[in-house]
Amino acid sequence: MIEVIFFGQLTDATGVSSIMVEEVANTDMLINLMKMRYPSLASSTYMVAVNNTMVTENAIIRPGSKVAFMPPFSGG
Amino acid sequence: MDTNKIKNIFTEGPVEASFIADSIAKHATKTSIGGHSIFLGQVRADMMDDKQVQAIEYTSHVEMALETMSIIREDIFAKYELTCMHVHHSLGVIKAGEICLFVFTSSKHRKAAIDACSECVERIKAELPVWGKEIFEGEGYQWKINH
Repeated sequence: MIEVIFFGQLTDATGVSSIMVEEVANTDMLINLMKMRYPSLASSTYMVAVNNTMVTENAIIRPGSKVAFMPPFSGG
Repeated sequence: MDTNKIKNIFTEGPVEASFIADSIAKHATKTSIGGHSIFLGQVRADMMDDKQVQAIEYTSHVEMALETMSIIREDIFAKYELTCMHVHHSLGVIKAGEICLFVFTSSKHRKAAIDACSECVERIKAELPVWGKEIFEGEGYQWKINH
């Protein structure tokens, strides 16, 4: 299983802060899956991190990974 | 200084003035320090279309934020001659007027402390996975945007 976590305004789009999904091979596939499940994600701005490391291109997701969908940061 | 250990920077609730005072007092024994620089972020009661922000609720991807903060800390210690640096960021609901960020740098001479403090604050705002939800008086909210 893969744990997918959503933060900030993305939780408004998904209605959940965390879900478990069946194994998905890579981040592109996961992003497509999430957009199908939560259509309003398609119009959101976000970055993706796999196991706390930001990914900018399609990245492999190993079983047991934690994938974070994060909108622009607004701390401080 | 231990610059590469993962330190917690998050506290639930506001950073209290007494905590800041204690933190300053603790440096009295470090007599090689000649200058401190402190940044305090305070929650502002912004007006948005007749609605006033009464609080900001902060959430974070804590694990990732702490890893990122540890990299920022290493970079800053490599770049500036600091004696020490302390960072505290609030999580949870922080009311307007309360302190949500405390960055405290100390050095032998003032310039390193001032420049390091300023750079640290900018990097925290740009790089830490933290989000602020601005809660309006009455009802409603909007997500904070950093400028």
